[in-house]
Amino acid sequence: MIQKKVRKFCQGLSSLAILYGLSACPVQAEEAAADPAAFTATQVSEPGPILDPTSPVWERATPVRVEMMAQVTELPHDPDPAVKELEVRAVHNGQYLSLLLRWADPTKDDVLRPDAFGDQVAVQLPIDAENVPSPMMGHKPGGKVNILQWRAAFQHDQDKGEPTIHALYPNAVIDIYPDYVLRATDSRVYSGALGVDNPVSRGRVSPVLDQMAEGWGTLTVKPDQQGDGKGIWQDGMWNVVINLPLATISHNAPRLLPGKETMTAFAVWDGGHGEVGSRKSWSNWLPLKLQRGQP
Amino acid sequence: MAKVYNWQLGREMDYFYEVVRPKRQFAMIFDTNKCIGCQTCTVACKTTWTAGRGQEYMLWNNVETKPYGYYPLGWDVNILDKLGVQDMTSPVYQGKTLFDAAPDGERVLGYLPDERDYAYPNIGEDDATGLMSQGAFYAAPHMQWMYYLPRICNHCTYAACLGSCPRQSIYKRPEDGIVLLDQDRCRGYRECVKACPYKKVFFNPITRVSEKCIGCYPAVENNRQTQCTITCIGKIRMQGFITTPDKAREDSPMDYIIHIAKVAKPLYPQFGLEPNTYYIPPVHVPPKYLYQMFGWGVEEAINKYRTALEDKKLLGALLLFGASLDIVHSFKVEGNYSIGYDEKGSEIVRVPLREPTHVRIAHDQQHQVYRTNIT
Repeated sequence: MIQKKVRKFCQGLSSLAILYGLSACPVQAEEAAADPAAFTATQVSEPGPILDPTSPVWERATPVRVEMMAQVTELPHDPDPAVKELEVRAVHNGQYLSLLLRWADPTKDDVLRPDAFGDQVAVQLPIDAENVPSPMMGHKPGGKVNILQWRAAFQHDQDKGEPTIHALYPNAVIDIYPDYVLRATDSRVYSGALGVDNPVSRGRVSPVLDQMAEGWGTLTVKPDQQGDGKGIWQDGMWNVVINLPLATISHNAPRLLPGKETMTAFAVWDGGHGEVGSRKSWSNWLPLKLQRGQP
Repeated sequence: MAKVYNWQLGREMDYFYEVVRPKRQFAMIFDTNKCIGCQTCTVACKTTWTAGRGQEYMLWNNVETKPYGYYPLGWDVNILDKLGVQDMTSPVYQGKTLFDAAPDGERVLGYLPDERDYAYPNIGEDDATGLMSQGAFYAAPHMQWMYYLPRICNHCTYAACLGSCPRQSIYKRPEDGIVLLDQDRCRGYRECVKACPYKKVFFNPITRVSEKCIGCYPAVENNRQTQCTITCIGKIRMQGFITTPDKAREDSPMDYIIHIAKVAKPLYPQFGLEPNTYYIPPVHVPPKYLYQMFGWGVEEAINKYRTALEDKKLLGALLLFGASLDIVHSFKVEGNYSIGYDEKGSEIVRVPLREPTHVRIAHDQQHQVYRTNIT
């Protein structure tokens, strides 16, 4: 059932790719479609959310290569994004699904400045695995997807603390800030997006944003944040874990069951290459089977 | 892309959205001949709106010395250079707008300033176009020149920031045409920073989203002119509302100056954004330079401005600059007075067209001294 749907989307994407002068239907996705066992979330017995990219648990998961292609259907776009390939692995413990995403990136971009962007990676799952929407962030109406996005800048917040102007610009001279002289409630208006609790301002709880989308430009951070993760940059490679519960009470989250299949799609942004928003590389749907029982 | 009419270009052009003109349009007029570059407006804006963390470098209002001052560095020459030489030889603009010139994969032609471009807010300050040779003396026209260009967000009719945002985080208010950036919806992509040719959208590295001039909307909603306007010690600004030329109202001081007397001109109209801040061009600057900056009709504007004494209505409108904290919606000239009214038609200000002159006798009999100031 799902294999047929993947072929259909892949064919759709191929014709779209031809339209835009590309030939980049993800080979791996097609291979995975032919052999859905290729991308499997191995069942493991480690308890709780699996967040550590260096955990030996990943040795039990089969790595799958995902070919990434340029997002060129929506303006603005970068026809030649930096990341061409992603290595993905998945495990689950009956309670949480955890994905390890690895890709080569010669620069660690985790500090945002006016002219500097951050590295990011995202995994997308359909809310309803029986009615898989467009891989391009879902579609209107009703084609809802769950997008869990890890941000290097949020990881920096977690590891080294929130940004300060002196961390960004050591020689900055500050005489006064409104909160030095005003009550907290009065000075809140001077804190911009932080004052209105914009969720992209800080990685307060986790470096992963748990989001919904129903087509282009609809990406919205969910009020209940179920995603978590951790990223480590080492030797020119990002190793990022994104973790989510198999099922929650929310109607806007996928319900995953061991023994069942779902879909995954990925997007990567290389901040050092100026990639942000729709300037990204992404993949088509890739079926994921959740293994049942111990391997 | 939709076809929209840009009256400043005298033609239709492509824009990302259909035109929906606001009920009234926020606008500002600057008299560059009166600006002394004191930066009181800049400080007023800074202390009112951008005193917070991550806003240290932001100047929603700034005053730069032209031709060599820029904030951020080279903002106008950079985008002019990218746009290339365009045909502006008639009132109907024949050249490309920034939307026409958008490269493949982009919504608009733009560029993201380098971080260091923001490091020199006073660069070029008071620099004239060249050195004076030994023994030179003043002659008109000036051999060397400079002037001050005060700038805020233009609250454009066809805002490039708004058109470039893939998330529609920027919107133009239907009630007053002020362009605002939703602090809750923005995700810091900086497409708007790239797209705005005036570089009046700034990225806040602490809150990680972009911010821009809000047109002092809390003041405007209460019929009060913006902070930069009411604090201007040289009374060089007027803030109010304008209409399109076909609906120009003779009793509106903004409409009279912009549409009827045609004394104030938009800033770089060739970019195609239909900006809504207008400049009375400096009278001492070579028209060739002004022509590039303010578009068609600068020489006529200067001639009209020089002869403003002959047009009592124009004089009356110009004298309302800095005369009232409240927004002047309409005005009339009666006898020796220019009278400004609020939206309901109540008089809010009365300014004499000519101040009475008192002459004191040059020699003070009582103290047996000569006076140095006798008028």
